[in-house]
Parts: sequence; structure tokens; C-alpha cells
Amino acid sequence: MIQQFITDAKRGNIDLVEHASKALESAHAINKEYRYIAAWADPVARAEQLQQLAKTGNARGKLFGVIISVKDNLCVQGVESTASSAILKGYKPLYNATAVQRCLDEGAIILGKTVQDEFGFGGFSINTGTGIEKPLNPLDKKRTCGGSSGGAAGLTKKAPFPHLALAESTGGSIANPASFCGAVGLTPTFGRVSRYGLIDYANSLDKIGSMALTVEDAALLLDAISGPDPHDSTSANAPTDPLTDIPRAIHGLRIGIPQDSFPETMDNTTRRVLMLALQQLEQNGARRLDIKLPISTKYGLAAYYTLAMSEASTNLAKYCGIRYGASEALSGNYNDYFSRVRDNHLGEEAKRRVLLGTFARMAGYRDAFYTKAAQARTKIIQEYQAVFKDVDVIVTPTMPLVAPTFDELKNLTPLQHYQMDVLTVPPNLAGLPHITIPIGEAHGMPVGLMITAPHFHEHKMIQVAKSYDKK
Amino acid sequence: MEITPDLVKKVAQNARLRLKDEEIKTFAKDLQDILTNFEILNELDTANVPPSFHPTPIQNITREDTPQPCVNREDALALTPHKKDKYFKGPKTL
Amino acid sequence: MTKNNVKIGLEVHVQLKTETKLFCGCPTNAAEPNTAVCPTCLGHPGSKPVLNTRALEFATKLALALGCTITPHVTFSRKTYFYPDLAKNYQITQHETPLGTNGQLVLTEARATADAAHKTALPEERLVRITRVHMEEDPGSLIHEQNNCLIDYNRSGIPLCEIVTEPDMRSPAEAEEFMEKLASILSYLGIFDLNTCVVKADVNVSIAEKNYQRVEIKNITGFKEIYRALLFEIERQKQEEVRKETRGWSAERGVTYHMRLKESEEDYGYITEPDLPSFTISETWVKSVQATLPELAENRAKRWSTEWNVDSGDAKIIAQNLDVATLFDDIAKHGCDPILSARWIRREVLRILNDKKIGLTQTEFDSHHLAELFKLLSTKKITDRIGQNIIALLAEKKFSPAAYVDEQNLGVVADESALKKACEEAIANNAKAVDDYKKGNEKTLMFLVGQVMKATGGKAAPNVVKELLASLLK
Repeated sequence: MIQQFITDAKRGNIDLVEHASKALESAHAINKEYRYIAAWADPVARAEQLQQLAKTGNARGKLFGVIISVKDNLCVQGVESTASSAILKGYKPLYNATAVQRCLDEGAIILGKTVQDEFGFGGFSINTGTGIEKPLNPLDKKRTCGGSSGGAAGLTKKAPFPHLALAESTGGSIANPASFCGAVGLTPTFGRVSRYGLIDYANSLDKIGSMALTVEDAALLLDAISGPDPHDSTSANAPTDPLTDIPRAIHGLRIGIPQDSFPETMDNTTRRVLMLALQQLEQNGARRLDIKLPISTKYGLAAYYTLAMSEASTNLAKYCGIRYGASEALSGNYNDYFSRVRDNHLGEEAKRRVLLGTFARMAGYRDAFYTKAAQARTKIIQEYQAVFKDVDVIVTPTMPLVAPTFDELKNLTPLQHYQMDVLTVPPNLAGLPHITIPIGEAHGMPVGLMITAPHFHEHKMIQVAKSYDKK
Repeated sequence: MEITPDLVKKVAQNARLRLKDEEIKTFAKDLQDILTNFEILNELDTANVPPSFHPTPIQNITREDTPQPCVNREDALALTPHKKDKYFKGPKTL
Repeated sequence: MTKNNVKIGLEVHVQLKTETKLFCGCPTNAAEPNTAVCPTCLGHPGSKPVLNTRALEFATKLALALGCTITPHVTFSRKTYFYPDLAKNYQITQHETPLGTNGQLVLTEARATADAAHKTALPEERLVRITRVHMEEDPGSLIHEQNNCLIDYNRSGIPLCEIVTEPDMRSPAEAEEFMEKLASILSYLGIFDLNTCVVKADVNVSIAEKNYQRVEIKNITGFKEIYRALLFEIERQKQEEVRKETRGWSAERGVTYHMRLKESEEDYGYITEPDLPSFTISETWVKSVQATLPELAENRAKRWSTEWNVDSGDAKIIAQNLDVATLFDDIAKHGCDPILSARWIRREVLRILNDKKIGLTQTEFDSHHLAELFKLLSTKKITDRIGQNIIALLAEKKFSPAAYVDEQNLGVVADESALKKACEEAIANNAKAVDDYKKGNEKTLMFLVGQVMKATGGKAAPNVVKELLASLLK
């Protein structure tokens, strides 16, 4: 779908300036109602540049002329990038994140920055920083978009123009909102995409990925941003086979269904939609195998949150009102000043996670929490590796429910919020690539199916997802 | 394990968060709830299991010792109101 | 019987002489404030560290030179604490897996210094155990003002190596010797620049009278200050009640002062730095680094005095400077008399370097031509005087001393008939000196020898002249 647009744009068959102006206009209209965009870039000026290239026969790039949105935690040079936190208010990066730069190098047009939970701390985009409005579900404004990449998912579903979204997942922040909004969400293997310029939540878990309306389009964006980067020493050197044009035939492919992946709390309608999808995959030629992931299921959540918060609490230490972002009048000594800035500008959930993370790595508790969680991660990775000897991909529901209403969320405790991530957290903790695709509706809201592949086997899950994708 | 308001206070101090008494109470309750749940990790036998600090093994990535362009000082200083001449300005340390 | 009254341990931070910072490509030599900065060393959101290969190599060299075991699998940690000079409010350091462990440094001198009172009567070699050697980044630098501070991030991310010792030193003098030995090793390894790089140390001191209650003194800059701070602190501990605390050192006032109680120390909450991979230090690589290590000063000096009978004072002084030491070794290889060569290098070569305040590489000296000169001297083909003149010229220009001596006819003149005329003239022109000599003042004979030397342009063999004059004056 987007591929055709790119071909036309390169040939000069599309007036990119007009296209960008119209897109900007409709995005503003959507934003008034749904609040997906936190800061705007200048897409029209960029379109003028590209138009010039097309006129002179110099139109190049895998994403030529494509309008993309960028999750707010990715640095875009000169465009306010706050990870939707008040403590970074006004911060305009001096450089582009590698993923952003690669999109620009491939001819993309940046529309703006999409709203998220502050620093990625949440699954419903209700933990936006002070003064930042919460995005609404594109299909029902009483419901959440999911999170933390809520703005990205909402805009992906709602945009009336060809659009791709750069999103990011730490524990499910791509799959969750994509599934709640009915979009495709692609999270690659940890290290596949450079994190340089990603405002860190938890460095050993953060993965930049893509959202789109089709699998092929999501794969196109991931393909453009993948590959090693000298600025991120944890970016992987693993070979990057093309992720686009992967054949959809899955005959004989082994699909593992974990025993406990349908939570008891899941309602029957949602369950039925998911069962039909599994049957569809079998009809398409896949071989279904029952598997067990007992350690991941039972301990994944605790291990994930312990590690994520430990890392997050150190990442947030740098926000102290000296060099950028929010600040206060300089008075008192440094402890008073730092405490004042952080107290006034960090949101409630950010404080909660900083406290939990600081606790988990404190002398005396570190071994029982931080180190133990890292050991649990080893066991979980090993458990997955063993399972992947028998199956090519693992298929589960993406979320245990459809997008909840804001009222329903009010009654949940912080722990219950965390527990909503039970299905997305284990593959994220293990750094495994996963994709969510919309497979139907329950109660009028989209239901997502998640396909997880071994490390650096993105092509496998894309293949399975495509076999289902009707577009 | 009991998460007392005093413990929360100590952690908050370490994290440079100045919390109000009410916040301390709420957070103590939340932390108790959450950490009790996380203590489930104790059940897991991790004897001789090495910790994984990354999901995939990544090793020996370094860079050559050759200078790269720096950012312009004025651009860096433009990001903050706290500056004086060529310096960033910070809170006093004494 | 030795009595150990004082225990001193050091944590020394030395700056590694790299072109760029430890985790980013900013240069290490900027002078203008905040000009060597980038998103990484400013702690900007989203920036990431990438380890400098040369810093790892230099740190490995140091760890090996200090006899450490190299840890095969190395990671970095985040040490979190809040301070305005720390760009990220955490420092990337090595906590769990220091690059080197279990090393040692041997002290050899029991020197008589101002702190004789503390000096132990130990003439023997003393072992200082090195607990660990690890890499870490430096914070930025602060200028304190009345109501705030000013921050320069040029130093933020400068590569440091931290050397931690056991409390094995027994006096400020031993700590001083440790620092001197360490400085010599650093300069030998070529990983430290005495002119531009900074040495900082934290010291811990305790004394027997106060049950070895340990006190830490933080952040002392410079070698001399470490010694001064220790002297002061030991006296203070004798006179005051000692508690477990961290103190600072004021160089201006010459006193240590209370900073904080040990109990109120920050909880650093170390975690493994997730933005960096782990590093496997292979045995092959360690061996290749080991192969590049020069023979250290102490070993060289020892070898020269035991194998070649070089004066031990000359040997120690020559060995201190790696370039000069290498020059000496090369000259000796040319078959020169090592004792004479050592004396000439110490007295003449080093004197020229000191006078001009330059390094050997800034002169034209080379082993080939100096060896030629020293052979002329040892075979008495030229006088010391001529030798001195030539060595001064060799500092400026490369030429063959032998050819020069021939060309300029500078060979020693020892023929009595050739010297007789000059001696007679000296006697004739210096009646007073002759008179004094005849009255019994033997010393004036040397004055007359000097006059003959002058007249012959320094070429006359002084012993021949002396004998000739003596016989003429009989």
C-alpha cells in the first residue's frame, strides 16, 4: 500500500507539498479530538525539499515521501522531544536518533512527536506527564489507546494519509497499543535497531520498532532503521536479511501455543476470536504444537519490572534542572535544588518507578531483587531457546482483554496495571522479536494476535503475520 | 518484608525526591503491594545461574581513539537558562 | 623488631593519555570551557557511551605493569550519586569486575625525611599490595561561587585509571615513595603525561593508638599534597578523638577537615551499565599487550649495576627517563664502556636536557654518534674538555665525532716536546702563581695546567701537562 505511494512519489506523480499540507491539516484536526501529537515538525518544508529532488530525478530512498510520526522518546533534532515528561519540557535535541536519521536518509517526512506514557511508564497512555493530555482510542473515545506508544497507535489507525509510526517497546509498549487500536505493531530483537537517541526507559529492554496498518508496511519501516550503529555499542551485528517481500506461505511451519496464554480472566468473545485466528493459521498450513513456558509465565513479570525499574531509576537521575528541560530558580544547595526540580516535574508513576528501582538496587536488597531478576532473565531466555528447538514461532493473544475504558482503569491498583502486561512482558524481557496483528473484534473493539520468533528471526514472524494479513 | 514509611523516606532521599507525608504513605502501600508480589522470584532456584544483563550476548564493541566533532558550546548552553559566560550554572555544593 | 604504628592505603586516580574521552570522541586537551562536549559527556537524553579501545589498552598495560591478574570477563557499572559536576548523576565505573586484581608494588627505600618520627626502621624491600586497577570516567569541573557553581564539562568523561592499594604503607614517606614509583611506571608505559594529566588520590589512614580507626581523606590533587595531607592527618589523629569519617584536604590551609560521617555515605546502588556490552579480555590479547611493556625503571637500574657495574646512583637516575634509559642501553650495545657511558649520560646528556627543559626526542642525540664519542673518550683519544664541547654540539646536530676530531685537529696532545713550549710560556706569563707554587702552594699547579689547556684549545692531555710543569718547576 505504501510501496505504491513511494513509487508514485519518486516518479513525481504526487505533489508532495500539497500532500504534506493536507496531511498536516488533517492531523491537526485529528489531534484536536484525539490528542496523539505532542510536538510538530515541519513536514511541508521537508516535502518541498523532496519535491525538488523528485523534479530533478534524484528521488531516492526506501521511504521517499512517506509521512512518519515519531514516538516522543526518540530525539528529533530541533523538535521538542520530552518522552511526554514535564521534566524535559522545552528540550530540543541537538541531534537525531539513529532510527530517525535513517528514516530521513531514506526520504521520509516527519510529521511530529507522538504522545506516550511518561518515559514509557505505563500501558494505557494515562501516565502522560503533567500538562500533557491523554490520547483517546480511535474507535471509542471512552477507552484507552493502550501504551506506552498510545499516540503512535492511535494515529496509525486514524490517519487518512499513508503513514508509518516509529514506536518503541520496553515491556510491550508497541504490541499493547497496536492491539488496542487495531494496528500492526512490530517489535524487533533487542539490538536490531540502534537505541542511540532513544530517551531511555530501561536500556537492556528498550527496542525501537514500527507500526502500520499492514504487516508489509510495518516491515518496510523496520527494514529502513535496522542494522548496527557505531553510536550504540549494544546494537547487533547480526546479518539483516531484507524484511520486505517475504512470502506469505506458511505450509509446515511449526506454531507453538503456550499452555497458559489464555488467562482465566479473558472473556469468551475475545477467546473465540483468538481461537478462530489460530484455526485460520492451521488452515493456512501451519502445524500447531502445544508448548509450556512455566518460568516465563510465572516469573516474567516480577523479573521484568525489577530490572526495568532498576535501570529506569538510574536513567532518570540525570534530570535535575541544570543543562536542559525543566528548571527552577537556583537556590539552596544541590540536594535541595535537585529534589525540588524532580519533585515538581516528575509524574506520580515516574516517582513510583524511581522509588521501586532505587530500592531494588540498594545495598542489602540488590541481590534479592536486581541480581535475582537478572538471573531469572537467564532462565527465561533459556526456556524460550529450548521451546524454539521445537517450534518456529510462538503465538498468543497480545493482551488479555480489549482496550479498557478510562473508568475501568481508575479502579486498578498500580500492581494490577503492571499485571495487564503479563503476555507481552516475557518476550520483551527475553529480547525476542514479536508482532501483533489485528485479527477481529470483540465488543466492537479490536483483538490482537501476537507472534513471537527467536532472536533475529523477524522474517519468520513476518511470514506468519502475512499469511493472516488480508491486506 | 515490611516497607515502612521510614524506608520509603530513605529511598526517596537517595533518589532526590522530596515527598509529602501523604505521598510517603501511599507509596509505602504501593511498594509493599508490588514488592511482595516481586518476592515470588525467591522461589526460583538460581544457584549457579549467571545473570543476564542483556537479552543477547553482546561483546567487545569499542571505538578507535580518534576525535569526533563536538557540539557547539552556544548550542549546548541555549538549552538552559542556567548559564554564565562560558559555563553552565548549577546549585551550590556547600 | 619493627613496630607498625600507621596504616596507609591509597586510591589513586590517574588520567590516561588518550586523544579522546573514555566513552565519546571529544578531545581530552581542550582549554576553552565547555568546548570539548557532546551529547554523551553532557548527559543528554538518549546519548550512549562507546568504549575507547586505547583506554582499555592503556589500563591493561598499567594493570600488567603492577603485576595484576587480568580479569577475563569485564563489565562496567553505574555508580549513582547526585552532584552538579556529574553529567548523568551516575558515573560509569567498574565495580564488580575490575580490569586487574591482586597486584603489587615494591618499595625499596627507607628514606630519612621530615617525618622521621613515623619512619619505620625497615631497610628491606616492602611490598604494597594492589587490590585492584579499574577504569572509570572523570566528572566535570566546578568553580564555586557565592550562591551557585559554574560547571565546565570538558573533563566530563576523561578516562581515569583507579589504583587501589591495601593499607600496607606505614608512613607518609612510604606513600610518597609509592607515588614516585607509580609515576615512573606511568611515564615508562607512555600512558600518562606528567605535564597535562592529573593525579588525584583518596587516602585512608589509621594509627595504632586509636585502634586503627580508619579515616578517609578525599580528593587530594598532586603528589606533594598527598604527603602533606598524611603528615597532618597522622598528627591530628594522635591529638584528637578519631571517628569513622570522610575528610577533605585544604591545600591552602594545610589541614584536613570533616566532610561527612561514614554512616551517612551515599548508597551508590550499583547496577551493570546496560548501554555497554561485556568485554572478554583474551589471553592472546593480554600477551600481545604484555609484549609491548618496556622493562621497568627499577629492573633496568638493577640490571645495569649488577651486570655492568654501573654506579647505582647513575643507574637509578638514568632509568627514571625511559627515552634516556633506552639510549643508554643502545649505547652499551655498541660496545662502549657502560660505566663511562653512564657517567657521561648522567652528567652531560641529562644536564643539557635539564638546562634546556626539553625531552630527549627534542634533541639530535642518537646512540650511534654518542657511542662513537664515548669510545674516543674511553680510549683517551680526546680530553674530557673536548668531549664536553662535542656533546653540546651533538645535541644540536648529527655528525661523526671521530671525523670532526680529525677535521678540527682536536685529538689529545700528549707529546712532551709539543707541550713543552706551552708550559714554558705559562710559567713565564704567570710569575705570581709560579712563586706561590714554589712557596708550597700545590694547588696553583692546577691553575697553570688550566692555562696550558686554554692555550692548546683543550687538547692537551692534562696529566702529561701536569707532570711536565712539575718537572720544569723543580
